[in-house]
Formats: sequence, structure tokens, C-alpha cells
Amino acid sequence: METMRVKPGPQELQAQVMAAGQCTACGMCAGLCPYIRFAGDRVRIVYSCGLEDGNCYRSCPRTPHDLQDLDVQVFGAPREDHLLGTHRDIYYARAARAVRPAAAQYGGVTTALINFAFEQGLIDGALLVGGSLEQPLPRLATTPAGVNNCAGSKYLAVPSLANMLTARRTGLTRPAVVGRPCQVTAVRRLQGLENNHQAAPGPAPNLVIGLFCFWALEAAFSAFLTSRTRSRVTKMDITPAEVIVDTTGGPLSLSLDEVRPFIKPACHTCFDPTAELADVAVGSTEAIPGWNTLVVRSARGEELVQEARTARVLEIKPYGAERLPLLREAAWRKKKRVLEALAGRPEPYLRLPVDYQLAIAGEEVMRDEYYARSS
Amino acid sequence: MGTPGDNFNIVIAGVGGQGNVLACQMIGMTAVEEGWQVSAADTFGVSQRGGAVMSHLRLSRDKPCGPLIPAGQADIAVGLEPLETVRVLRTFGGYHTRVLMNSRPNYPLAVLCGEAEYPPLDELRQAIREHCREVVEVPADQLARQGGSWVTQNTVMTGALAGTGWMPFAIETYERVIKSLFSGRVHQLNLAAFRVGVRATSRKTGAA
Amino acid sequence: MNTMRVVLDAPGQVALLTGNEAVARGALEAGVNYAAAYPGSPTAEVLECIAAGAEMLGVYVEWSVNEKVAMEGAAAASFAGLRSLTVMKCDGLNVALDFLTSLSMAGTRGGMVIIVGDDPSAHSSAKEEDSRYLGRVAHIPVWEPADSREAKEMVKAAFDLSEDIRQPVMIRMVTRVCHASTNAVLGEFPRREVNACLGPEDKFITWIEGHREQEDKLRRAAHRAEKSPFNTYAGPESPETLVIAAGPGSYYAEEAVAQLGLQTSVGVLKLGTTWPLPEKLLRRYLRPALKVIFVEEVEPFIEDNVMALAAQHLDEIGRTSFYGKKSGHVAGINGVGLGELTPSQIMAALANVCGPDPAHERPAPPGWPELAGRDLAFCPGCPHRASFWAIRAALELDGRQGIVLGDIGCYTLGKGRTGYYLLQTMHAMGSGVGIASGLGQLWRFGFSQPAVAVVGDSTFYHAVVPALINARYNQANFVCIILDNQTTAMTGHQPHPGTGIDPNGNPLTAIPLEAVVSGLDIPVTTVDPYQVDEAIQAVYQAVQGPGVKVIIMRRACALIAAKTSAAVRVYVDQSRCRGDACGCARFCSRVFACPANIWDKAQGKARIDEAICNRCGVCASLCPVGAIVVEQYQEKVG
Ligand SMILES: Cc1cc2nc3c(=O)[nH]c(=O)nc-3n(C[C@H](O)[C@H](O)[C@H](O)COP(=O)(O)OP(=O)(O)OC[C@H]3O[C@@H](n4cnc5c(N)ncnc54)[C@H](O)[C@@H]3O)c2cc1C
Ligand code: SF4
Ligand code: SF4
Repeated sequence: METMRVKPGPQELQAQVMAAGQCTACGMCAGLCPYIRFAGDRVRIVYSCGLEDGNCYRSCPRTPHDLQDLDVQVFGAPREDHLLGTHRDIYYARAARAVRPAAAQYGGVTTALINFAFEQGLIDGALLVGGSLEQPLPRLATTPAGVNNCAGSKYLAVPSLANMLTARRTGLTRPAVVGRPCQVTAVRRLQGLENNHQAAPGPAPNLVIGLFCFWALEAAFSAFLTSRTRSRVTKMDITPAEVIVDTTGGPLSLSLDEVRPFIKPACHTCFDPTAELADVAVGSTEAIPGWNTLVVRSARGEELVQEARTARVLEIKPYGAERLPLLREAAWRKKKRVLEALAGRPEPYLRLPVDYQLAIAGEEVMRDEYYARSS
Repeated sequence: MGTPGDNFNIVIAGVGGQGNVLACQMIGMTAVEEGWQVSAADTFGVSQRGGAVMSHLRLSRDKPCGPLIPAGQADIAVGLEPLETVRVLRTFGGYHTRVLMNSRPNYPLAVLCGEAEYPPLDELRQAIREHCREVVEVPADQLARQGGSWVTQNTVMTGALAGTGWMPFAIETYERVIKSLFSGRVHQLNLAAFRVGVRATSRKTGAA
Repeated sequence: MNTMRVVLDAPGQVALLTGNEAVARGALEAGVNYAAAYPGSPTAEVLECIAAGAEMLGVYVEWSVNEKVAMEGAAAASFAGLRSLTVMKCDGLNVALDFLTSLSMAGTRGGMVIIVGDDPSAHSSAKEEDSRYLGRVAHIPVWEPADSREAKEMVKAAFDLSEDIRQPVMIRMVTRVCHASTNAVLGEFPRREVNACLGPEDKFITWIEGHREQEDKLRRAAHRAEKSPFNTYAGPESPETLVIAAGPGSYYAEEAVAQLGLQTSVGVLKLGTTWPLPEKLLRRYLRPALKVIFVEEVEPFIEDNVMALAAQHLDEIGRTSFYGKKSGHVAGINGVGLGELTPSQIMAALANVCGPDPAHERPAPPGWPELAGRDLAFCPGCPHRASFWAIRAALELDGRQGIVLGDIGCYTLGKGRTGYYLLQTMHAMGSGVGIASGLGQLWRFGFSQPAVAVVGDSTFYHAVVPALINARYNQANFVCIILDNQTTAMTGHQPHPGTGIDPNGNPLTAIPLEAVVSGLDIPVTTVDPYQVDEAIQAVYQAVQGPGVKVIIMRRACALIAAKTSAAVRVYVDQSRCRGDACGCARFCSRVFACPANIWDKAQGKARIDEAICNRCGVCASLCPVGAIVVEQYQEKVG
């Protein structure tokens, strides 16, 4: 266990994370505690419980923790791939037509896997994000219809882990989580507490599907959107070049410059673009419409994906060799930027062993990457 | 067990919502039925929201009295709650005071919030014994449950008071009053509660 | 309250009546035709008792929207030759005062009696205003009963006086009369035909000439007061010390004289007609007395007026020493001129003035344990607790130090523990919204905190509508939250225009809150405060952005709901409660502040006191581990 110089409780959570603009709105703390509530993407302590040590602080993705410890906790060993994190396979994948919801963001892999896990009895609920694109809301799904209703990406940060409270109250014992990488980290830290901390908060998620994420937007973006279009937004997609917003009145293109001011400040210090601690991580292919990138990381993830494939729930094909360097470079760029940003801080939330740091900052990586790309 | 003289004062203490007003009414109406002059004053209103409440009941064979009992001059104290019993005794009790107390605590919020202590029951009991003539305890919550309803603790206590033999009124008069106050099932419940109360103390004190 | 005995047609029978019941009985025995009131403690029950006899005796009974309208309606009945009664608390008289000062200039016709409840010590009020001064300002007679028996007779006599001098007569009741029961002998109900009409000569117009008539009428009232049966004297022919007392204090004075054995030297003059004073009667007893002690609640009203009288007749009355609030000799329970009188304090005052007598001094015996105080609290299951929790959470989320403005009702307790100490202002009916309307303009001066005014449903109709109109028209920024528990809970669950029933429970067409607010072109959202998270979102959304907005938090008062709700049981599953190992730090029992959430010391776990739980289940929705169970229950409890 890490040694604490500060009191690992709500005061520090408030000071180091919330007040410092470092809250990612993952919702974990609100999912543990009746004193922490949220509205939109604001998560705040609404009553001082007076405790000096709390799971809120200990499971927040933005309070100090060691990434290698988490790697070891989740995968049993430190990572070898420092750009994409520990993984077993990487594929293109999509849900079979019969199980692909119309509103799926890309290939519907996420929705299909959750529904499949339900069928298999692996999970008894799922913490998802539903609602509209302008006003997304945490949802706790316990039926396929509930899961399908949440299909499609909402690019606002939604503290959907707040539903941990509801999950626990309603007696769920093995919920699944679909979340942004910060949310995956929060879940893993919570699971770490199960074994370490005297006051573990109860059953933790049984399946964690991470989404690729380079940033999420603040709730204020909704007002901006409404100022740009009167029509209802039906889908939003982020490409390297622009943000495409489909509305009932036709598509709208926003430049990245227009959107950037709404990025949550915490995202500028996020080290994890591909949900490195998830069982599986799902993203766009940025090449083949209607397909996902699927990164299989844990044994549980692998088993699930194989079974889903056998059951013809997922269609899978090899990941494009030409895409891999691009994905790795994108991850590297983000990590490098963040490493530099964090280096300037007195108490960075993320502790990285020297080899983890060198792997990003060291020249040989850049050389490798350059080599890989040009070959 | 002697009954009091031609003028006597009863203070009834409890927590807002426990029904001390009704207990006071039942006793007061019984006294009127028996030809006494009565003054019965209750705390109403905002104190009913969980605050400390009390009723002053002043009974006289011949002359009307003012609404409040002078300090130290309660002949009988009926406490629907231990802490509140002691609270009224501090002001209205004396060495001549007989005390009938429901032994079930109702915790003040400050105690629930950990900012204050609820004194141990034994300490309260001991203090009453030291300062007053006698104390009879009744587990009114359990008795009320036996009688069929949580909420009739006040009627149980009225019965218990009638059962002590401290009062100069006939049990039948109380029961007539209860009949005039309630009807149907509510009457049944209250009558049952009253009788459970009577039995509880008449056994203890050997009176009535 | 027992309305049955108020309407019992059994002349000669002795009944135990509260002061309020006695007033109602007196009005019915006087043949009242029209009774209107707005509920206020300590006089809230009067109208309900009259309502119980309404059908049998042909009385029109109305819960009015506020006291001013109630008084105006009662005046109308008087103009038409009927007998009318209006009832309010002192604060209500303030509301109606504008009309009353006009009414008494123009005069009345049928007997009109105004019952005003003062609340010394503010047992169920925010202040202990002494309404007798307002009666004097309005130039109308003010009478004060000492107990129920007298209250009943006074009401009857007041109707007669009112018809005689053609002015309303005010009866000032204090809490210890309203809520104390004494024996009273029931009288007969009159059987008389009435025919309401206004002749062409019946004009009631407030104009300056009326002032002369006001003074003439007061002189006539003073003349009648000399012979009033409500002014009584007990004591020696020529008392050395004269106690002048009114209200329940006159009992304390008599008892103190007896207990101190001062019967031969001290006389007690009990005044029932405190304004205008029976001057001759007073002079008769002031003459022999060397010392005069005043016993009255709360302010030195009689004291000032009698001292002025004595000064005016100095030659006749001679040297007299006056003891009362001015001299500091007569204290209320909270100090001189503060709080209600108690027998012990009057005893102390008499002993002090007439020579100390150690007999009455009884130092509290040592050795009582320390006792925890009892905060006033929202009832178990009260929707206000959930509403305040939601408001608090939303404002904390918002983070701009939002300000919560209070108003008059149960939710005034929001100033204390069960409302998480949220309220920052609390004044009069509807004032929170008026103040919010002002704060909502201060952005021009740099004010950037959100303002939230909480009002009750009954309060809304009473006094909030004009403030909302003002706010909407002048474009103030704030949120008005109507805590709609569908009744006037504080004073004992009286209906109001939103409930759709009359005082006897007969149907009327309700005026929904939403309709009124929408009619003012103000956006309105309705939420159920038991759905705490939704309520939080609603408040949070509303405090963002400009303009005036209304949120209705609708949920029936727990005291009513508990009587009608389905049989459910709420309990703590102690195998799931993690006790002090849970990070919640005893949320349910320590923070949420519902008296039914208690701590089981023996088990080190939470527990629910099922004897007082009203089974709302809100705590169950907030417990972080779901240890609180809401269960359908077979046998109905209670
Ligand atoms: C804020 C955000 C940023 C992203 N950025 C990238 C990116 O830069 N590059 C990239 O390749 N992919 C990104 N993704 C992932 C991508 O948008 C898809 O979610 C992912 O590819 C899964 O697609 P699918 O077809 O399987 O989704 P579906 O089957 O449609 O399922 C989508 C799932 O995502 C969940 N979800 C939706 N919105 C959120 C949210 N705000 N927070 C948490 N869960 C949510 C839903 O509950 C649903 O279960 C991002 C996703 C989010 C939410
Ligand atoms: S990042 Fe998550 S856990 Fe940390 S403060 Fe924000 S919502 Fe809470
Ligand atoms: S970029 Fe990182 S911090 Fe921001 S939402 Fe995505 S995972 Fe969370």
C-alpha cells in the first residue's frame, strides 16, 4: 500500500481533484457516498462527512496512484506495451447484424458484448450512459432493451459510475461497466480496495468494457450545440479532422477549434487513451465504417470475445497492419504531452516507474515508432 | 396507596407527537365527569414537531385554577419518555411527587448526531428515586404493541395512571370517556390499550 | 380538539372546553352567521369547531386565502346585518390591519367579533407580538379572557357590544387560554331568522369624519366597561397593594396571594376589558393602594395606560408606587417583558414587592443529570426534510454560495438541524419571495449568488402571488420553491385553495398551483421530493441562468400520508449495514436527521424506530449500501 502524506479523505478529494479542475466526472465517488452528488458533469461533495480517510479518495482516478501497481493488480504483471497497454489481441470487430442496434456508434461491439454477457449470466446489470446526446444521463440497465437504449456515444463526460450506489442498493452482485478510460481506472482502483482497505464498499464490477477516449466534453457544450442547431441531435462522431453532428435537420460540421474550448480540463492530463485497464477496449477504426477496433486485454475479456465469436454474436477480422502504427502514434503523442504536463506539477496524480516514463520519453521509442511507420 | 387531596396537579411530559394532549384530555374529562374543576394546558404547535412537550393538569374539587402548575408543585408526574420525565421533574417535581414513567427512550437528534449523550436509564431512574416520592415504570411501547398498536402508548400510560391507585376516579369513568372520544376500531384499540395499562400497574402497586 | 362537544345541544351540561372550543361555542350560542379565518396558532382550531356546527345551525364557514380577505368577508356580513366572526393570530392582524383601521372609521352593523391569538413565549410562532396595541390603533375595544369559561361568555357579550356601538370588538386570546381546557357550562343555541340585506341608507365609507365617531364609540365602550362582569375584584375593601391583572396571569396572582397569605392586604383587580379601560373602577381601587403590581402578557399595555391614568388623576390617587415591567419587578419566563408569565414568577414578584418570603423560594435540588436538549425537527417522513436535502445538495453542487430564504410554516424549521441550517432569512408570510425578488435585482451591484425562496402551498396563495408578479414583471433572477404538502400542516392540516375542499371536507374546485404560476408566465416544474436525485437536478438546473422560475416539490404531509398509506414496513437489514466501518459516517442517523433513524449501540449498526417511522422510505433511497429495506407488510401497523 502506498504511504500517505495527506489524509486520504473527502477534504483532499475536494482540494486536489474537484477544486483543481482535475475531476473527470467519472462518478465513482458519487457512487460510493451519499454526500457526493452530481448534476450534469459536475460532481461535488455536498456535505462534509467528517471522515479523514475514505474510499472516495482512494478510488478516484485522479488521486495519487501507481500505474504499475494497477497493471499488476489487473493483469498480474507490469505492461510490456507502453503505448497501448497490456493486451492479448487487437482486431477489427462488429456485432452480427441481428444483434447490432440501429443507434450503435460504429460496429455495436460494446452493446453486443454486454448483451451477450447478460445471456451468459456473467453479469446482472450494466452501468451505461443513456439519455440524449445533448443531455446524457447515467443509466443502470438490467435488460437487453435497456442496454440497446444506451447505444451510441455521448461525448459529454457523464458521471455514470454514480450508479454504483443504485446497483449496490438494488442488490446487484456482478454488474458490468462500460466507461471512459478514467472510469475504468476508477473501477480498478475500487477493486484494489476490496483486498486492501478495511472498509471495502461491496461488490465491484465483474466486467469492464473500456472505450477509447482522447477527451470528453463539458456539459456547457450542449448549450453551444443548441445555439448552432435547433434540430435534435441524433449522432455525433469525432474524426481526426472534424466533429460531425447528425441532426434531424441534416448534418453539421464543427471544426476541432470550435469544440476544443469545451474539453474537460482534466482530460489534458489523462495518460490513458485506450482504456488500458479494461477487460476489453473498444474504439473506432477510423478507416472502415461500421466496424470497431477491439483490444482484448484480460483473460476474462478474451474468453468473452471468443465465446461471442463462436456464438456468432461478433464478427472479427485481423486488425489492419497499416493502422497499427497510426494508433500507436496517436497514443504516444497524447502520453508524451501529458507526461510533460505532469512533470511540471509538484504532486502528479499518476506515479510511473522509471521504465514506464522512459518508454514514452526515451528516444528509442520514437525511433521505433518512426521505423514502424515508415516500414 | 393514598389518593391526593382536594386539589392536585399532574404534569404530563413527552416528546411532540407522542400524544400527551390526548392523555391529558382523557384524564381531564374523567375528572369533569366526576364533578371536579379542571384546568388542562398543553403545548401545541411547533413543539409538536419533535420538541419537548408537556401538559399541566390541575384538578380541584371546588375552585377553578390557572393553566400552569407552580414550580415544584406537581403531585404526580406522568412521563411518556424517560429523559422528558426528568426534565419536567427538575422544574415541577419535589419530594412529594409520585412518578409514572414509560421506560422507552426517544432519542433527541443531538444524541443521534453524536453531539450529546442520552444519560443511562439507570442514572435517570436513580435521580428520580433520590428526588421524588416514588417511581413506577411501565414499558408502554411493548404494552401498546400487545394492545394492538404502536401508537397507543399514551392511552396505555393513562391506563397505567388509573391503575396505580393514585387517582380518585373510577376505572369505569375513564372507560366512559374513552368511549365518548373514539368510535369503532380506534375505540377498540384505545380501550384495549387502556386496560393493558391498568393491569400493568395495578399488579405492581397492588391497587385499583 | 373535539368538535363534538362544541356542538353538543345540551344546555346546562358541563364540558371540558379549550379556549378555542369555548370561543366557537360562544359564537354559536350568540347566533353567528358568518365565520372566516386564515389558520394560525394558537387560534387555528376555532373555525374548525364552528364548522362542525355549520350545517346544524346554518353558519357560513370559510377558510379564507388570508386574514385581510377573511376580515373583509366578515365585515360584509356585518354590513348586511348578520353576526360575523373572524379569527387570526397576531401576525394575521398585521396583515388585516390596513382594512381594520378603515373599517372602524366607517363602522359596522351586525355584530362583528375579531378573535386574535397572541402567543407569549412564541410556542408555535416566530414572535410574541402583543396585538392589543393594534386594537388601540384601530380604535376598537379589546377584551381579554382568563380561561375558557370566560372566553365563551365574552364572545357572546362582544357581539352585543359590537351591535351597540357599531364597531368590531376584538378579543385577545393568549396561548394559555386557547390551548387550556377548563370546565364550561353549555348554553342554548338560538333559533332566529335572519335576512341579509343592505338598505340604500346603509353606507360604509372610510372618511375623515369617521374619526370623531370612533372616539365617541370608544367613550361609550369605556362607559359600558365600568359595569362589565369581566372586570372583577377580589380582596380587601381598601387594599394596600393592588394587583391589576389580565388573562391567565390573574389566576397566578390570586394563587400567589393565597399561597403567600397576603389576603388581608393585597387585592386583585382582574381586567377583562383592557381597552378602553374602566377608568372609574380603576380609580376606585387605585385610591387606597400604595403599591400597584401589573400582571399581563407580554408588553406593559395596561401598565402604561393605568400609569397615564394615575398621572392624570394624581390629586385623587396620590402617591403610588408602580411595579411591573417598567420597574423590572414582573418578569416573564425569558426575562422582564419577555415570554409568558408563570405562577412561580408572579409569586416571586409578589413576595418581592410585599416583603420577601423565603417559603416560595425553592432552589433546584442538586444532582439531576445533564439532559440533552431536543431540537425541533421535521416529523419522520416529512417531505420537507427530503426537499431541504435536495436544495442543499443542489446549491453545494452549484458552488456559488446560494442563499435560501425562508417563510412561515413547518418548513421554517429549515433554519435548524433538520433543514441543515439552510435558511438565511425568515420574516413574514410571503416575505421570502419579496426578498428574493430584491436579491434578484442585485446582479447590477455584483451579486452573483443564486437565491432560492422556499414557501408553503398555503403561504403561496396567502401572500406569495403579488411578490411573484413583481419578480416576473421586473425580471428578477431567483427560484421559488413551493413545498406543496397539500395542506396547511403547521396549524393542523387546514385546507387551502389548492386542496379542493371546504372546512367540512365538502368539495370545491381547486385552483392548482401550476395554473396560477403558468398564468403569470413563469416557468414551472413539478418534482416529488422523495425522488431526491430528481429534485436535486431540478433545483440545480433552475438556479442556472436568469429569470424567475418556480419548482413545485409535491408530496403530501407525512402525518396525513401515514394515516392513509399502504401497509409497508421500513427497517434496517443489519446484516447489510456496515456500521461504523461504512464510509457513510452514520448518514441516516447522524446527518439525514430523521428522528426515526436511530443508532443501535449494542449492535453498532443503524436501526429504525418503527414506532415513529412514517414509512416514507427516503432514507432507504439514500443509504449507500442499501441496508434499509422497504417491505410490503401484511398486518397494518397503527
Ligand atoms: C467521451 C468519449 C470519447 C471517445 N473518444 C474516442 C476516440 O477519440 N477515438 C475512438 O476511437 N473512440 C472514441 N470513443 C469510443 C467510441 O465513440 C465508441 O463508443 C466505441 O467505439 C464503441 O462503439 P460501439 O459501436 O461498440 O458502441 P455502442 O454499441 O453504440 O455502445 C456505446 C456504449 O458506450 C456507452 N457510452 C456512451 N456514451 C458514453 C459516455 N459519455 N461515457 C461512458 N460510456 C458511454 C453507452 O452506454 C454504450 O454502452 C469515445 C467515446 C466516448 C464516450
Ligand atoms: S474523478 Fe471521479 S472519483 Fe474523482 S472526484 Fe471526479 S467524479 Fe469523483
Ligand atoms: S480523456 Fe481521459 S480523463 Fe478525459 S474523459 Fe477521457 S478518459 Fe476521462
